[in-house]
Amino acid sequence: MPRNGKLVRIAVALAAAALLGALAVTSAGAAGKHSTGVVKGAGSSLVAPAVAQWASMYKTDQIQYAAVGSGTGIKQISARLVDFGASDAPLTKSQAAGCKSCAQIPWALTATIPVYHIPGIADHQLKLTGTVLANIYLGNIKKWNDPAIKAINKGLNLPDMNIAVVHRSDGSGDTYVFTNYLSKVNSAWKHQVGCSTTVSWPTGVGGNKNNGVAAIVQSTPGAIGYVSDFYAIQQHIAKARLKNAAGAYVLPKISSIEAAAQLVKSEKIPANNKISLTNPPKSKKYKNAWPMATFTYVLIPESSPKAGQLKAFVTFALSPAAQSAIKKLVFAPMPSNVIKAAKKTLATIHS
Amino acid sequence: MSTLDATGQTTRRPFEGRRVHPGDVILQVLAGGAALGTVILLGLLVYKVVQGARLSLSTFGLGFIGSVGWDPLHNAMGAGSLLFGTAVTAIGALVLATPLALGIALFLTELAPGAIRGPVTALVETLAAIPSVVIGLWGIIVLGPLLRDHVMPALHSTLGFIPLFGTPSPTGTGIFTAIVVLTIMILPIISSISRELFLGVPGELKEAALGLGTTRWEMVRGVMFPYARGGIAAAMILGLGRAVGEAIAVAQVIGAFDNGISWNLFNNGDTLAAKLANEFASSTTNLETASLFYVAVILLVFSLAVNILAQVIVRRVDRAQGRTV
Repeated sequence: MPRNGKLVRIAVALAAAALLGALAVTSAGAAGKHSTGVVKGAGSSLVAPAVAQWASMYKTDQIQYAAVGSGTGIKQISARLVDFGASDAPLTKSQAAGCKSCAQIPWALTATIPVYHIPGIADHQLKLTGTVLANIYLGNIKKWNDPAIKAINKGLNLPDMNIAVVHRSDGSGDTYVFTNYLSKVNSAWKHQVGCSTTVSWPTGVGGNKNNGVAAIVQSTPGAIGYVSDFYAIQQHIAKARLKNAAGAYVLPKISSIEAAAQLVKSEKIPANNKISLTNPPKSKKYKNAWPMATFTYVLIPESSPKAGQLKAFVTFALSPAAQSAIKKLVFAPMPSNVIKAAKKTLATIHS
Repeated sequence: MSTLDATGQTTRRPFEGRRVHPGDVILQVLAGGAALGTVILLGLLVYKVVQGARLSLSTFGLGFIGSVGWDPLHNAMGAGSLLFGTAVTAIGALVLATPLALGIALFLTELAPGAIRGPVTALVETLAAIPSVVIGLWGIIVLGPLLRDHVMPALHSTLGFIPLFGTPSPTGTGIFTAIVVLTIMILPIISSISRELFLGVPGELKEAALGLGTTRWEMVRGVMFPYARGGIAAAMILGLGRAVGEAIAVAQVIGAFDNGISWNLFNNGDTLAAKLANEFASSTTNLETASLFYVAVILLVFSLAVNILAQVIVRRVDRAQGRTV
């Protein structure tokens, strides 16, 4: 059977090529190890571009970060499979217990953003309030020309079109921020749905990950969704203005995210660093604040064999140079008091 | 190694008594080890999955299987809509894929000019090599809108009296889109096996039929289909298994709606495997994690049931064939 012989030869050639490739990679890895150590992390995909940026700047150790999602990151650090985890939502009680004394340290500041696809309505034109957003996601507002939407968008020619509600189908830090905000501004939302990384959605269609939500919104006239801000900007999706408690319709920008983070100054930072930035109170101080800003956290076991290396890397990530280097990825620099609290927690890490 | 059987006589195993070739021993060990390894692996897997599901099993009991909704925040979870979605998408995909796949296989073995057989065969089999996540993404961006704008409205206006073809989904996601995506994924499995089966039909049989004056279609129907029937059923089982277990592509296009069961294929839904793909990495409570293991148990049992049912059907078909031929 000549055909089989040929197949066997092809298979052998492929196997040999794969083996050679693997050898090349291992030797390259070994060569890299001479000068530096390796610190492994896993978790949030939201913070992944920032970690990649830091890793490229950081020369002391090699940082290997896997963007497997916050939930998996929490599981991996709980099982101590990695040196650090990363999560967008603060740990729940059961997660914190499962992680067996993990320190939770804020290390980047970003936001979740409502995005839309309405024919004839350009980027930044649509205005929304928390109540309207909650009623859309509760299924109470079904059309784009609903009086409640028209009332806050005078001058916009809103079409008589059904609203296609899009949300995340996988558990996500963005869902946490989004539902956290809606729970604060709408009591029906709080009681009926609640706030978590996964909720039971009253209506709408679920997209898998940020790119799933983005793809469905982009291909569906009449759609509304929410994604993390880096994603919205990268994908050129229309972003909505959102009314904050001070009454201003703000745009999701570095400055408005930073403004929301000023909230921390008046709020005492708890020992577990759990800080919510959603819906800053009605005050002139937060006039420019984006209502769906969030910290994202690095999770480190309080006792770690790589304590020294981890402390050095996170200290670097908290440095002004590292914080401003990720501005282009739409992460706002963290306020100084949060950095101070983060460093205080970091100091408790020991080997 | 001789053993005593019930009558007290020694029975001999096939290889016994001859001179023992080292090659035979190695073959025996390797083949037996591979088979045993599979059994052990499956056993460990089932054990681990059932163990993981214990908390949910004790909390929800069997009621979990039929109850609808997924709300980990309020500790209310059930697999009803997932089970329904899995059955509907898998059966739907099989119904669409089987005739298409048989058509492709017939074309490639009987009808296509020799020069294009090779390239088309290769192309069809390449379909099977496309990563499911790519098919899923294509499903959201290209296929979903296409179905929404053209196929769903047409089906709704012509067959709308059947509850299956209700109002089209605005997003292009949903059960119907998942069915089409799954059809594309299982098509190459069924068609390539069927092609091999059709190639295996003895030329004399076909020539005898044609010699008796049958048309080509009569020959296909009267000789090739009956000859390959059992094999085609087996190919369909393989396809069904793939459709039941596919997670990522379905998770991307089905719309993850768990709060109800709808017979309208254009509505959003969810499947067991898609739920696992969506939620497993990000479950927040122990009860949710256990419930996802419970979903995995149901998926295992469901796949097993489908396989057993399919085996029974294949045997029936074979027996019926034995009687008629």
